[in-house]
Amino acid sequence: MADQANFERDALQYSRQLYSAALRMARNPSDAEDLVQETFLKAYRAYDTFQEGTNLKAWLYRILTNTFINKYRKDSRRPAEVDLGDVEDLYLYRRLGSEDTAEASRTTEDRVLDGLVESDIKAAVEELPENFRLPVLLADLEGFSYKEIAEILDIPIGTVMSRLHRGRKAMQKRLWEFASQRGLVPEDAERP
Amino acid sequence: MSKDCDCGDAQDQIYQYLDAELDEHTSSAVRGHLEDCDGCFDSFDFHRRLKIIIRTCLTEDMPETLEQKVRELIRHEIA
Repeated sequence: MADQANFERDALQYSRQLYSAALRMARNPSDAEDLVQETFLKAYRAYDTFQEGTNLKAWLYRILTNTFINKYRKDSRRPAEVDLGDVEDLYLYRRLGSEDTAEASRTTEDRVLDGLVESDIKAAVEELPENFRLPVLLADLEGFSYKEIAEILDIPIGTVMSRLHRGRKAMQKRLWEFASQRGLVPEDAERP
Repeated sequence: MSKDCDCGDAQDQIYQYLDAELDEHTSSAVRGHLEDCDGCFDSFDFHRRLKIIIRTCLTEDMPETLEQKVRELIRHEIA
């Protein structure tokens, strides 16, 4: 069992990471701050139930995601299960790779990766429905394993994999649209 | 090219490979294919770079006052 006296030393090192995830969950800084504060307070109160030597970071993220879900889903007991339309695998890459030569494709790929801006990436994540956004954040922002994500979100590992797969495809589709709006892709590639 | 992994397999497994979620045998088969196949390596490299960009863009600076607020909350709880 963990000692509450060590909580600040052990847990607060994750605050910046938790805030980054909270901001993409809540989608505004003020709610994200509330979310982080509530998470640490709950974690502190429950710290004597945390098994020392196990995964503290994952334990904190479990509290964060549960707090987020309970706070922003008060109107319904059931999770908001939204589906995404069907999108081709590796969508962005496949669209960019359709040029005449491999070299031309690589030039376009470089231009897109250099030209997409921070707000494009943030918007593409924030626009994902919650059931896809949470696994994507846990994998791509935090680098949690599929098994850890399954435990944090309390869903089967197969569900983690399929939501990640589809969430990332939907993000790539959105990034393609941003790249196209910014004139980063050749005009003849813009036709669907 | 490795018999254990063709272009279709490699493309299907790019994200699992990047996420370090493949078992050792499958992972080394994919790695072998990527060494031999320019097209698949290009796709792998694109997704590797995209993953880094996403992580970098999503990592935020925390408001300076937030950690202090959290410490105060906890101390209030102790008192």
